[in-house]
Amino acid sequence: MTNYGWLFDAKRCLECHACEAACSQWNGGSPPAQFRAVRGFESGAFPNVRTQVLSLSCNHCLNASCVKVCPTKAMTRRADGIIHVNKDVCVGCGLCSRFCPFGALKLDESSRKMTKCEMCAPRVDGGLQPACVSVCPTQALQWGPWDEIRQNGSDRTENFVHVWTSPAVRFITGTWKQS
Amino acid sequence: MAITRRSWLRLTGATGAGLMSGADLFADFFQPAATASSAAAELKTLITSCGLCDSTCGMRASVQDGVLRFVEGLPGDQHSNGGICAKGTSSISTIYDPDRLKYPMKRTNPNKSLHSDPGWVRITWEEALATMEARFKAYLAQSGPESLLFVTRNSPDLFARFMNALGVVNRVDHNDLCYVADRIIQRYTMGPHTFAHDFENSKYILLFGWDLIARSKVVFCHQFTAARDNGAKVVCFNPQYSPTARMSDEWYPIRPGSDLAVVLAIIHVLLDEELYNRDFVREFTNFTEFEQEIRANFRQYSPEWAEKLTDVPAADIRRIAREFGTRGPSVAPLHKKTIGANYANSTQVAHAISVLNILAGTIDRPGGRYFPRTISIPAVDSVYPPPKYPPKTGRRVDGRDKLPLVTEANNGMFSTLSDGMLNRFPGVIKGIFWQGYSLNSFPRPERVAQALKTAEFMVVLDILPVDAALMADIVLPSTTFLEGSDLIARTNNAKSPQVVVRQPVVSAPFETRSLGWLAIELGKRLAPDYFRTSDGAWISSSRLLDEKTKRAGLGETFAEFRSKGLVTIDRPFVPATKFSTATGKCQLYVPEFAKLSYDPLPVWKPKREQPSQSYPYYLLTYIPSMHRRNSTQNNPILHRMMPENSAVMHPALAAQHGVREGDKVRVSSRVGSVVLPAHLTHTVRPDCVLIAHGFGHVSPMLRRAGGKGVRDSDLIPDRTIDDLLADSNFGGSGCIMDAVVSVEVVLR
Repeated sequence: MTNYGWLFDAKRCLECHACEAACSQWNGGSPPAQFRAVRGFESGAFPNVRTQVLSLSCNHCLNASCVKVCPTKAMTRRADGIIHVNKDVCVGCGLCSRFCPFGALKLDESSRKMTKCEMCAPRVDGGLQPACVSVCPTQALQWGPWDEIRQNGSDRTENFVHVWTSPAVRFITGTWKQS
Repeated sequence: MAITRRSWLRLTGATGAGLMSGADLFADFFQPAATASSAAAELKTLITSCGLCDSTCGMRASVQDGVLRFVEGLPGDQHSNGGICAKGTSSISTIYDPDRLKYPMKRTNPNKSLHSDPGWVRITWEEALATMEARFKAYLAQSGPESLLFVTRNSPDLFARFMNALGVVNRVDHNDLCYVADRIIQRYTMGPHTFAHDFENSKYILLFGWDLIARSKVVFCHQFTAARDNGAKVVCFNPQYSPTARMSDEWYPIRPGSDLAVVLAIIHVLLDEELYNRDFVREFTNFTEFEQEIRANFRQYSPEWAEKLTDVPAADIRRIAREFGTRGPSVAPLHKKTIGANYANSTQVAHAISVLNILAGTIDRPGGRYFPRTISIPAVDSVYPPPKYPPKTGRRVDGRDKLPLVTEANNGMFSTLSDGMLNRFPGVIKGIFWQGYSLNSFPRPERVAQALKTAEFMVVLDILPVDAALMADIVLPSTTFLEGSDLIARTNNAKSPQVVVRQPVVSAPFETRSLGWLAIELGKRLAPDYFRTSDGAWISSSRLLDEKTKRAGLGETFAEFRSKGLVTIDRPFVPATKFSTATGKCQLYVPEFAKLSYDPLPVWKPKREQPSQSYPYYLLTYIPSMHRRNSTQNNPILHRMMPENSAVMHPALAAQHGVREGDKVRVSSRVGSVVLPAHLTHTVRPDCVLIAHGFGHVSPMLRRAGGKGVRDSDLIPDRTIDDLLADSNFGGSGCIMDAVVSVEVVLR
């Protein structure tokens, strides 16, 4: 079975936060869970200012530190690469979050278990895209089999540092061409 | 493995602190997970469409046990292209907001104020309707229809029929702050009003304040990226480096309110260098007839002249004009608040941009502004023809009658309402019906509250306990769009006709009712002759919808259409050769304007307020992408993304006043001041202060949004009708950005 990964095309991103909202709405909780965040970055000085927007969540790293360090083996990788928390085993120690380079793991205060983006596994199992990808109005955020995604983008972009955990995320860089 | 999606419904605050909105009574509704039969209950998928904005995106709703679990975009919908925005997908959290109004209530505290507890107590719908009937009947009998004020849109058609049946003259809506100027200009220059632009076939797009990317109006967003994918060049004029500016090829931080000068100068170059579309202009416009006047008018507006007013270099204006004239199809879109209502010169801007599009020769042509090909869905008055409506007589408190073209467009005005009620016609308005609007939308909301206080009786219908409800005698709970039915014809992206359904994906909770239901119930009591069908039975909204479905050719019944959900008619796009103006041509020069002593061609006018020693900076307002104007700040997901607003300013401006990031600053205009945290950024001109609209609700019953952020509208001067006349503001623009402000630090 193949792994899955994210593809993000920054030039298409409206900064509309739909992905983030869909994530919260799908995963629920009170306050609503937030496993994906849209962040803007500013550089340069007026009038030569530039902004860049990234939408990031757990990158379901191919060489994930969270899976490696979890003392109770609660952090589990499915056959398709989706990394999820086995709530029966998790003791909420938070070690995984200390080793995650992306801040993707959060402690749920009420259950005292770690929570994270699980790529909307029930949707994926039902043949649907993750909620965040499904709502994106401009296909800035895409998702698919890692073998395809990795061909289509760069492993780094401005404001994103590629690290040794091999995050399953690729970026389309550059802007549009005029015809 | 299982991921629970039920926990999101267990919202905190469903009990306790619910004294005023009575939320503690309704824990079961807000915690359906506790009563749900089984985790394995079948998940049903229903098609509907979003009711939050004119994008009306198709939605696929997942419902389980009668509980709405998730909404996402509808594949195959030309408006949404299968996407949806943050507001749409989070709308579930509005349905299940514990602060939601649930039952009719009346006030027990006679002292009406935005800042005191109305002391609401629950009443029955029967009592609410009987009180409204008695009050409205008394006012109509004693003082005539002019004594009633309706603050609501002219829709749905059932409610419009109700207002017409009463002979309501005083209906006001937000369109003076939105698009009425553009609507008037389009009507006289090219035909029916449209927001549709064929971006995907455009090669050159000029954006004057058009910032619908930043509003995340999905219907425009995916068309915009399609334009870029197809190689269009985009040039953006905006004092702020907005998301739209980021997605453009060129950005010019233009001086606020001066866009008109750039448009006039571009037209100057197009005419001077004969770069307009000659075939189109000769055949389909009145250019030849008025060529002398047209050339003489624009001769004065050179790029060098415009540079001084706009800070856009003359060489760039000249180059952009040449590109616009030669690299087409070219288009300059205009939409609503983007620029059409912001300044005293906005009517002129709308006219100038219309001229630009006509000269490009792309009206109803590939790559241009076009008229949507829609399916016509009959309104109630054509299904059940009404008896003759009474004539509309009486005084207009907003003064709209002095602006005949605004009257013709049937839009009333927010910006002049408080002056009308307090000064011009005090005491005329006795009864008020208010629906769907927030007080924050009006310039100077506190003054509007004073004006509302002068009426004897006020009813508010809303989903949430909004600020306006604090002024009401009776508050009525409204359904949301996810609980209602309708047929929605696509307009903003409709080169071929498409209709999508709106249907209740969940049933209306508690005693919430729709505006259409209320129209019928009030109609039966106050204007029964208008609410019967020819066989004497009362009009029923479900039978009406069946009739509309049948007459539009969408099916035998609404239920039949519901099962389809989305219907597209494949029809080739045939460009218009006759335009719906008086002459059948696109009118650069508008003879009707000349007859009314208005300028028949767009001429330069400055904005109303200019920076001064006391108020040295321009005020800019904007609506952030994740909020729908004033109505989503209480939504838990959207609230988390942006709970409050800040005073956004350039570091150089901040340094002049010793302001650092996060300091509390006071921003003042000649009519008011607000205190809010400063945010420093290079994305805005150093002479502007930018404040997001929609925040600063005062209602403590909005337990998330109440008291968070400030009202930008506290800084925006309201207008008198004489102001508008003095400005020759014949499109009635509410001038919501035409203010100047000062800045000082109050707290570090």
